[in-house]
Amino acid sequence: MVPTLAGRWQTRILLYVFIGLPVTFLYAMYLTNWRWPPAIDLSAFTDPFVFITAILILGLILDVAYIQAQRFRWEGDWPFAFQFFFSIMEFFAVYVGMEYFGALDYFLPDGRIPFETAAWHFTFVFVPSFIAVLAIVQIFLVRWRYKGGELGRF
Amino acid sequence: MSIEITWRPAENVNDVAPGRITLTGKGPFQIGRSSGSEVLLDNSQVSRKHATIKVEGDVVTLDDEGSQNGTLVRGQRISSLQWRPGVEVAVGPFVLTYRLVESQVPIEATRLPGQDPAARPTFPGRLFDQRQVPFKEIQSSGRMTQEIEYLAIGGGNGSFAWVDHLRIFGVDKKNIRVIGIADNKSPYSKYGRLCRNSQIPDHERIRSNSISTPDNLWGFPGYASRETVRDLARGQLVGLKYVFQVFGEPTVSETYTPRLIDVFQSLDREAKRINWDEMWLAGRVIAIRKTDDERYVIAYRASSESEANNNSPDRDRFIVARYLHIATGYPASNFLDDLQKFRREHPQSTAVVNCYEPHEEVYRTLEQKGGTVLIRGRGIVASRIIQRVYEARQKNPNIQILHLIRNPVTEGSKWDLSQREVYNDTEHQAFNWPKSCWGGTYLRELDAATPEERSKMMASWGGTTTAYRDDWLDIISTGKKEGWFKVFYGNVEGMSERGSRVVTRLQGKANYQESLELVADYIIDCTGLISKIDETPLIADIIKTYDVGRNRVTGKGAEARLAGINVSSSFEIPAMQNGRGHVFASGVVTFAGPHAAVDSFLGLQYAALRSVDHLARLRAPGVSKFGPLRSSYQWLKWCANASP
Repeated sequence: MVPTLAGRWQTRILLYVFIGLPVTFLYAMYLTNWRWPPAIDLSAFTDPFVFITAILILGLILDVAYIQAQRFRWEGDWPFAFQFFFSIMEFFAVYVGMEYFGALDYFLPDGRIPFETAAWHFTFVFVPSFIAVLAIVQIFLVRWRYKGGELGRF
Repeated sequence: MSIEITWRPAENVNDVAPGRITLTGKGPFQIGRSSGSEVLLDNSQVSRKHATIKVEGDVVTLDDEGSQNGTLVRGQRISSLQWRPGVEVAVGPFVLTYRLVESQVPIEATRLPGQDPAARPTFPGRLFDQRQVPFKEIQSSGRMTQEIEYLAIGGGNGSFAWVDHLRIFGVDKKNIRVIGIADNKSPYSKYGRLCRNSQIPDHERIRSNSISTPDNLWGFPGYASRETVRDLARGQLVGLKYVFQVFGEPTVSETYTPRLIDVFQSLDREAKRINWDEMWLAGRVIAIRKTDDERYVIAYRASSESEANNNSPDRDRFIVARYLHIATGYPASNFLDDLQKFRREHPQSTAVVNCYEPHEEVYRTLEQKGGTVLIRGRGIVASRIIQRVYEARQKNPNIQILHLIRNPVTEGSKWDLSQREVYNDTEHQAFNWPKSCWGGTYLRELDAATPEERSKMMASWGGTTTAYRDDWLDIISTGKKEGWFKVFYGNVEGMSERGSRVVTRLQGKANYQESLELVADYIIDCTGLISKIDETPLIADIIKTYDVGRNRVTGKGAEARLAGINVSSSFEIPAMQNGRGHVFASGVVTFAGPHAAVDSFLGLQYAALRSVDHLARLRAPGVSKFGPLRSSYQWLKWCANASP
C-alpha cells in the first residue's frame, strides 16, 4: 500500500460505510435476538455502533501520525503487515479507553461493552475490511490504487 | 529485430556520399554497385555484387562474394566475418558499420546531414513536407489507405496496455489497429528478448511486483495470489509463502516478484481475449502528419511475407486515424564508449559483450575452461549477471569475477525524512523507483511539480539501484571472503588486447597515482539501455515538425540522460492536438514527465488508464466512463476469460 493522507481517510470512511455499518447492524440485531424494533434494551442495539464509530474516529486521528511515520520510509509505502498490526492496536486502544478511562461513558448508558462482545464485533468488521483493501476495492474502483486510496476520478 | 547499416567515406576520400539503410528480415541482403543491391554503393571500386549480409537472430554474417577489391576489416581481406555491431568494414572507398535497432522506424533511405536533399525518400515524399496534409491528397495518392478510429504505434507492452484499456472500456476491435514490427505479434517479444539476453530465463523472477499485472488492469488477482492458488491446487502448502510475502513486503519479508513465464503466459491469455492478433498490422511507421480534417495520417511500410515482394511499392501505405498512441520503447542498447572503441579496434575479438546482446557462449566457455570475467556497471542487470557467473562457477570453480565500478558508494540517496540503503557499493530498493511513485504521495507530487522540481525528485528517487535479495548478497559476501570476487573503482583510461585476453587500464585516483591493469577473458557491460528517444527517427521527426517540447535532462556526467517528450498528466502530447484529433504517448518516450516509472508494467497501465479516461471525457466513440458497475462487470468477464 502506498496511501496518501486523504486516501487513508477516504478509504477508512468507505469501509466504515460499506462494511462497518452493515456488519454492525447485523451484529446488533444478533445481540438483541433479531427482534425489530429492539424494544427492551435499546442500548444493547446502539452500543456496537458507538464502539465501531469510536474506532473510526481514533483511526482518522492516528492516520495523521501514520502518514508522518511513512515519511521515514524510503519506499513511501505502508506494508499490509503494518496496516494489520495497527488496526488491531486501534481496537485495543478504544477498548482500553472505554474500559479503564471511561472515554465512551457519555455515549454508552452502561459505560462498557464486555470484551468478548467487542472483540467478536471488531473481528467481523476487520476481517472483511482487510480483505477488501487487499483485493476487492480495486475491482470496483479501478483508479483507487493509483490515487493512494482516494476515491473518484483523476 | 532489424539492422541499421551506415556507410561513410573512408579517410582521405571525399567524392562519395554517406548513407544509411535499415534492413529487416534474414536476408540475404546484397552489398554492391548493381541496382538490385539493398546496400547500394555506387562507385567503381565496388563490385556489382560485392558482399552479402545474412541475419540469423542477433547474429550477422558478412560474406565477400569474390569481389575484385575485397572486403576489408582493419586492412585484412576477409571472405566471411561474423560481423559485430560497431565493427568497421571497408568496401571500396566506403566504411560500413551497423547496429541492431529496435525502433519502429524505417530508416530506409533516410539521409545523413550534408546529403543532397534531392535524394529524398520516395515515400511518403513531398506530401509529408506539409505540417498539415489535405485528406484529398492522401486519397489521390494512389496508395492503399485505411481509415480507423484508434491506432497504436509500436507493437510492444505500451501499446498492449493502451489497447487492453480501450477494449475493456468498450471499444470494438474493428475500430482499433496496432502497428508493430513484423516477426512476432506477441506484445512481449522485444521485452522477452532483452530479458533472455540479460540472463533472465523464463523461470527466473523479474523486478516487478505482484500487482503489476499487464494482463489485468485491476491488479487483482496479482501474480502472488495466482501462484499461491496454483501451488495449493497441487497440494503444495509452501505456495502460501507468496501471499505472505505480499503481506509483509518490503519490511517484514522479501519483496515478491513474479516469474517471467507467468507474466508471458498471462499476456498470451489476455491478448487472445481482447483479439490482439486481429487488430495487428505488421509494418514500420515512417512518419506521422496532421490532416486537414482533424485527424492524422500515418505513412508506413507493410511487412512482406515473401522476400520477392520486398521492394514492391504496394507495401508503402497510409492509415488515417483520429486517436493515436505512440509507444515505441527503447531505441537501442547502451554500450560504453571505451568498449565500443575496443570493438572497433579489435573486430575479431569476442571478449567484450553487452549484457543485452546474446552472449550465452561466454558462460559455456567459462564453464568448460574457467577464466576471469570483468563486469562493468552495478545495477540490477549486473546483479543478475553476477548470479549467472556464480552458477557457472558451481560447474567450474576456476572462475574469477572482477567488478569494476566508477566510485564507491557509502551513502544512499535522501528524500524528505528517508534514506536509501546501501550494500556492496550499490543502492538497494525493491524496484527501479520507490514504490510510492506508482500510486502514492510521490506520484501525486511528481505529477503536480514544475519541471525544475521534477528533475530534482527524479534525481533523488532514480539512479542505479539493485533489488535486495538474500541470495545476491550471499554470493558477493562469499565471493569476497573466498577471494574470487573483487571490486575495483575507477575510470577506464584505455583497453588493449593481450593474446585473447583484454586488458583494462584504470586511471589512478588522486590518492593512488599509479594506474591499475585488470586482465580478463571476458568483459560484460551491464550499464543498461539508453533512452535517447530522438535516436528513433519517427520521434525525432515529430519533435522537429510539430515543435514537441522535451522534458528536462536528468542525471550528471556519464549518467546524463536526454529526457522524453512533453506529455500532459493524461499522457497526451499537447503540441500534436489537431482539433478533435489527439495523440497520446507512453513508455520511455515520455521519460521525466508526470510519471517516474514510465517503462514499468504498472507505469504503462497507469498511462493507459489516464489517456483512456481522457478519451472518455472527450466522448471518444465507444469509450465508457468506466464506473464501479462496469468495472466489476468487466472484471468478472476477465475471470471468465470472456471477450470484453
